[in-house]
Amino acid sequence: MVLFGVDVDYLAFVVLFCVGLYMLVRKSNLLKKLLGLNVMETAVFAFLVTSGMIEGADPPIRTAGTGPLFANPIPHAMVLTGIVVAVSVTAVALALIVQIHAHYGTIEVDELKGLP
Amino acid sequence: MRWLGLALVVVAAATLMLGVADLPPHGAHDAPVHTHVGARYLERGVAETGMRNLVTAVLLVYRGFDTFLEVVVIFSALVAVVALPRGRAARSRDGDDQPPAALLTREGPAQERISVSPVVAFVVQLLGPFIAVFALASLYRGHVSPGGGFQSAAIFGALFIALALVQGRERAARLVPRGARVWLQALGPLSFALIGGVGWVLTGAFLGYPAEAAAYALREAMVVAVEIGIAVGGAVILAQLFMAMEG
Amino acid sequence: MTIAWSQTVPYLVVLPLAGAALVPIVARRDARAAGGFTFVVTLVTAALAIALTVRLVVEGPLTAHVGGWVAPYGIELRFDRLGAWTAPLAVFFVLVVPFAWRYLEGTVPRDRWAAFYALMLLNLGGLIGFSLTADLFNLFLAMEVVSLSSYALVAVAGRGTAAWAALKYLLLGSVSSLLVLFAVALLFALTGSLNLPDVAARLAAAEPSPAATLALASLAVAFAVKAALFPLHVWLPDAHAIAPSPVSAVLSGLVVKIGIVGLVRVMELAASSGIALDLFGELLMVLGAVAIVMGAFLAIFQDDIKLMLAYSTISNIGYIVLGLGLGAPFAVAGALVHVVNHALIKVTLFLAAGSIIHQTGLRTLTDLRGVGRTLPQTCAAMTLGAIAIVGLPPTAGFISKWYIGLGAFSAGRVAYGFALVFGALFVFIYYVRMLNAFYFRTPTREEVAAAVEPPWSMRGPVLFLAAACVIVGLLGGFLLAFIMPAVGDLLPAIRS
Repeated sequence: MVLFGVDVDYLAFVVLFCVGLYMLVRKSNLLKKLLGLNVMETAVFAFLVTSGMIEGADPPIRTAGTGPLFANPIPHAMVLTGIVVAVSVTAVALALIVQIHAHYGTIEVDELKGLP
Repeated sequence: MRWLGLALVVVAAATLMLGVADLPPHGAHDAPVHTHVGARYLERGVAETGMRNLVTAVLLVYRGFDTFLEVVVIFSALVAVVALPRGRAARSRDGDDQPPAALLTREGPAQERISVSPVVAFVVQLLGPFIAVFALASLYRGHVSPGGGFQSAAIFGALFIALALVQGRERAARLVPRGARVWLQALGPLSFALIGGVGWVLTGAFLGYPAEAAAYALREAMVVAVEIGIAVGGAVILAQLFMAMEG
Repeated sequence: MTIAWSQTVPYLVVLPLAGAALVPIVARRDARAAGGFTFVVTLVTAALAIALTVRLVVEGPLTAHVGGWVAPYGIELRFDRLGAWTAPLAVFFVLVVPFAWRYLEGTVPRDRWAAFYALMLLNLGGLIGFSLTADLFNLFLAMEVVSLSSYALVAVAGRGTAAWAALKYLLLGSVSSLLVLFAVALLFALTGSLNLPDVAARLAAAEPSPAATLALASLAVAFAVKAALFPLHVWLPDAHAIAPSPVSAVLSGLVVKIGIVGLVRVMELAASSGIALDLFGELLMVLGAVAIVMGAFLAIFQDDIKLMLAYSTISNIGYIVLGLGLGAPFAVAGALVHVVNHALIKVTLFLAAGSIIHQTGLRTLTDLRGVGRTLPQTCAAMTLGAIAIVGLPPTAGFISKWYIGLGAFSAGRVAYGFALVFGALFVFIYYVRMLNAFYFRTPTREEVAAAVEPPWSMRGPVLFLAAACVIVGLLGGFLLAFIMPAVGDLLPAIRS
């Protein structure tokens, strides 16, 4: 299906990416910023998986009774890896946010800016 | 400033639309993405790697070095979190000043137990062994069906968190013996380095797997060692990340 | 058994990363053992990198196919003339780690030392992997190893301000990483391959598409963030100034260079795929020139010596980017040599500044007046570093800046040549300010008057590096001759 001259799956990626970007740049709360980043990451993963998909194909597990068309295994492997990376970055960010809260007593950027 | 952010989003959206508008229509089996490297993996993967699940074949065999860096990334996350001092509630909030030593100890202030409904606690404990078996199965069957080391690690990690929530952190922490933690958390990178080195000696290439039919059992053992390293190492790291995240 | 040298290239990445996994185990009994172990691992890595550089000169570029799968079906690691910068890179870590032994006492609690050293090794392994890999997705992962360890290293000294600086770094850094991943996904969707030369060849064979241009553009933006190129530099000053000094040295001298290495990869990709990035070279030149002047200008107003050095990094990244953008052979070669020279000088300066801060507990020029009298050796090293970064002969900074300038004039870009000279003038002003404070003012603080030279584990690396600033300057011609053959591959992209 094509919408605005773009395949609707790719369109979904663009929308999701921009929702995340909006949260990242406009929200003042650090946790919400982090959530925005995660939404952006999810968008890119969705884009990757989409690019590896074939209409009517089976998952790339070659057991009896499957085929002849299989989805591309490389994007699956990349997304699996990407998810682990995203989890790692999120864990470090959360630990830093806990630190910031412990020191400043706030995680709102508006308030942090005025503090030393 | 308000409009700057919004303008950035609009510009990003327009640029992305322009970029993706031109991609080959997705889902077509003859797009370049499906006729090159992926096609070869699908065609010869089973014969070359002995794995029916080609995602696992890509992760462990063809692109094993990526997976090595992946376990290093999650190990980095653990080291990064451990490198930070324990977080505590803001001083302004709870009012009492902790002695400076409390900031530096690994344990931090004593944990409060979250009160949970006995029904939830019972169900989690009842399902616990089954979840563990599921995690093991997805590890063991990872090369022929959906699953693999990382999936297994994620299930184990989730089980740990569920148990920690209903039984308290101290009891859950006993699942990962303190003395063994430093070894178990390093299992991912170390198993890759070790098996990679064995492959280097046997085949001349780092992370190579012997291809001869006679070496089938050896190859199988190497793959299993790496998978167990990923699963156990990953699960222990997830559990420790959870334990380190006391707020 | 004869060892195929090319197949040992993966160990450059694996040794430090596996070593990092072992650090917490080694540190169980005694936290200090972690420092010694880390030193040994960096030493072995550096030795291997130097041996491979020798092989490279003898037999040409070394290519390792990980797992024995030939590209594009497997991951390829290339040790070529550009990748050979990993040898000095590893040597810098060999010098920074002993410096950290004593520095950590009193700045980082003992129970976090193991984590600190593990992060240093992760950083080294990631940097080497990023510089050597010829695979797009592998590049992304190596970049994430570097980034994650860098975020944590900024915050390791542990106050809330450091965590805030680290989080700002993390948020911008993650957006940049995400752009890289998106570009990788786009290029993969277009070509079905992840191997850089293969992607370039398949792009060249296909019809030109805006998607490919978008991919290259988002790679360029992402790497400009990592390199802290001027308008995208906002994360850098706080992060580099707040981090402990050995970390500042690594971040400012080495980690920002992944942005430069990344930009070079984009140029290679553009050159061999025939995608004309018309504006790319021009944009690099303009941003580089602006960065030179603005970085140096902002540095003048800093009283905090580490903040001043951080702004000086922004200025120096400007020199490198300008050199790459100019596209004249001399300018590009000068820029590539400056990657190593700036690393050397900045590591020297940050370690010397770290020694001064460690011995006096003070960090502003106002407080540090007269410190040259009580810490003569450390301040002499700092002075040598300052002379080198201004670019006076016969130091390391001279030759690279000279060639960038020569490239600017020979390409007929006289205005950029003047930006370069102008920048050097600002740099001169702020280092003269520093030297004036150190040597020609009387101490106002008793900490300065009572300061003694740091222990030899700190003083040794600083003095060695300061001497290297001069020696490398004298031998500058060799570096240039070494890098020249690699320059040709980069040029078609920027000569539009």
